[in-house]
Amino acid sequence: MISVQKITKSFKDLKAIKSLTLEIDEGEIYGLLGSNGAGKSTTINILLGFLKPDSGNASIKGIDTSSNYHEARKYIGYIPENVNLYPYLTGLENLDYFCKLTGKNYGHNKLEEFLNKCGLDNDSHHRRTENYSKGMRQKVGIAIALAKEAKVYLLDEPASGLDPLASNELSGLLRQLSSEGAAILMASHDIFRVRETCNRIGIINNGELVKEMDTSEVSTKELENIYIEYMQN
Amino acid sequence: MINIILNEWKMLVRNRVFIYLTIFFVLSLSLVVWMGINQNSAQQEYRNKAQRHVRTQWDNLEAMNPHRAAHYGSYAFKPNNLLNSMDGGINDITGNVIQLEGHVQNEIVYSEASQSLSISKFGKLKSSLLLQYVIPLFLIFLAYGSISNEKETQRLKLLIFQGIPMTRLVFAKSLSIWIYGSSLLLATVFIQSMLIRSDSEVFRRLTLLVFSYGSYYYIITSLATYFSARLKNNTSALSAILATWILWTIFLPKIWGNAVEKIHPLPSRMAFKAAMKEERSKGIDGHNPSDKRREELKNKYLTEYKVDSLQQLPINFDGIVMQEDEEYGNLVWDKHFGSNYTILQKQKGLYQVSGLLNPFASLQSASMGFCGTDMIHHLDFLKKAEDYRRILIKALNDKHAYGGSKTGDWGWTVDSTFFRSVQGFSYESPKINDQMNYYLIDILCLLWWGLLVTFMIKLNTNKKIIL
Repeated sequence: MISVQKITKSFKDLKAIKSLTLEIDEGEIYGLLGSNGAGKSTTINILLGFLKPDSGNASIKGIDTSSNYHEARKYIGYIPENVNLYPYLTGLENLDYFCKLTGKNYGHNKLEEFLNKCGLDNDSHHRRTENYSKGMRQKVGIAIALAKEAKVYLLDEPASGLDPLASNELSGLLRQLSSEGAAILMASHDIFRVRETCNRIGIINNGELVKEMDTSEVSTKELENIYIEYMQN
Repeated sequence: MINIILNEWKMLVRNRVFIYLTIFFVLSLSLVVWMGINQNSAQQEYRNKAQRHVRTQWDNLEAMNPHRAAHYGSYAFKPNNLLNSMDGGINDITGNVIQLEGHVQNEIVYSEASQSLSISKFGKLKSSLLLQYVIPLFLIFLAYGSISNEKETQRLKLLIFQGIPMTRLVFAKSLSIWIYGSSLLLATVFIQSMLIRSDSEVFRRLTLLVFSYGSYYYIITSLATYFSARLKNNTSALSAILATWILWTIFLPKIWGNAVEKIHPLPSRMAFKAAMKEERSKGIDGHNPSDKRREELKNKYLTEYKVDSLQQLPINFDGIVMQEDEEYGNLVWDKHFGSNYTILQKQKGLYQVSGLLNPFASLQSASMGFCGTDMIHHLDFLKKAEDYRRILIKALNDKHAYGGSKTGDWGWTVDSTFFRSVQGFSYESPKINDQMNYYLIDILCLLWWGLLVTFMIKLNTNKKIIL
């Protein structure tokens, strides 16, 4: 469902991505582990259609994200590191607004259903998001993607800054989405969270995918050792 | 697009500072409009009273020689246009009373500025001041962060990701702020039209004002939103739009105004008067001096009436001479004043061209023009006052010549019945439909800027600016 084939991307003299290849099927959660500047966000931006690769191609459900990004985006739900909602609007109003931008005009009950599914308690639906925690905003962000009926979820450092409980809830939510057939790419440097959430993990360093493995093959400790080894190399 | 606009408004009305500022603006505008109208009415009433007083004095003149009455003269008071209460234009610095008498064209005197306290010489608080400076500045503060905030919070990606084209987002944000500015404008115009006697002429002028201000607000909000979209952050966007605003409202008008005066200079008052005096006595171009003209006129009338001396004429030749001198003086005046009039029109025309670079210049020109307080309207008053002076003096000279007296009979008098029969001065401001050719360039410049910023947004706000 998510396909990245030998993409390269440079910014002036800096090679951000070097011949990166990824395949993520439906029902799969792929964790892209890497340090800051490793190329995770660049990869996501290429999949979002905000950046064009210098060579290779990236596609969502077979739709090229460079040449046909408008079409590809219809299937993508994107959750950035910080989901910044409109502070003067309530969670429900934010969701309603973002839905209307995609042309979807859901009723009040349906919107509440999306928020509930993402774990946002009923009391918070009608509170302005200026007082929301980061985890609550992430939930609304996922509800926006959910309401968009996304088949693919791209998450850029979603667990950064979340407390353990919120992180755990996020993992559970993503696993639920994957069980419903979504393909999820989660870029992160949180080894524990990636290990807890994903089915498959790729380690990216200096724009190169240096290691891929199934989560079932490694414990968190082993993953940490592998990661540190590659980073030091 | 409508969803974005509604969302922007929803956020604005939930912001307490915005609500307080809006209340402040509405109250300020209402107060300023009300004060302006009261001030205008009071001034107008005072002028009407003075005009009536002058007429009463004229009607009750004691029996006197018509030529003496020509020196007694009359006064023309420049009436305030109803919309002077919105934009005073040049009215505060030009005079408002002109003495009309024989032999001489006096200058209009007693400007507001010359009689005011020094602090009010800088202009009265009229709604145009708020509409031209304060509200656009507030619109800038609302618009400069409209897209850069979305960028800085990374919300822009989410928005674009929901399938909104960048250009549509920029237009929608810009329009939502423009609607706010236009609402304040419409509120002002509504209050204005409620508090004055609005006829179709006032309605036409107000419609043109709404169009001009509305266009300017569109330009300023679109440009601020454009900078917000194109530049890296809020600081850059605010700096760029404020620099543009300062350039438009402070520097360019001064620089261009000075350049216009250098390109089309007016003669000094001294030079103007000296040239008039010279030509009146020595003849235009020095070829036809007054004594020679008088001699020719005398011969003409002696021949016409087949008599040998002025005393034998059945009319008073002094009246004929005075009218001839008057008409000659009028020719001299028309030549010199006409030349000044042409220079002033050229100056205005050249200043209006600056609208291609500076939409604020077009707005100011249009605002004054549509409120009937600009140089074109002032010159129209001067021309009508001068036309009346000529009618008045001709009536007196004709009476002197043909009223029954003989040449040299300076003791001959007419009573107030005659003076009452001379029509009084009344002035009506020109209709805007007849004056539109003067303001077409302002309208076109505002439209040109509107199209320019629209194309700038359409062509230069693409996905590259999102990251």
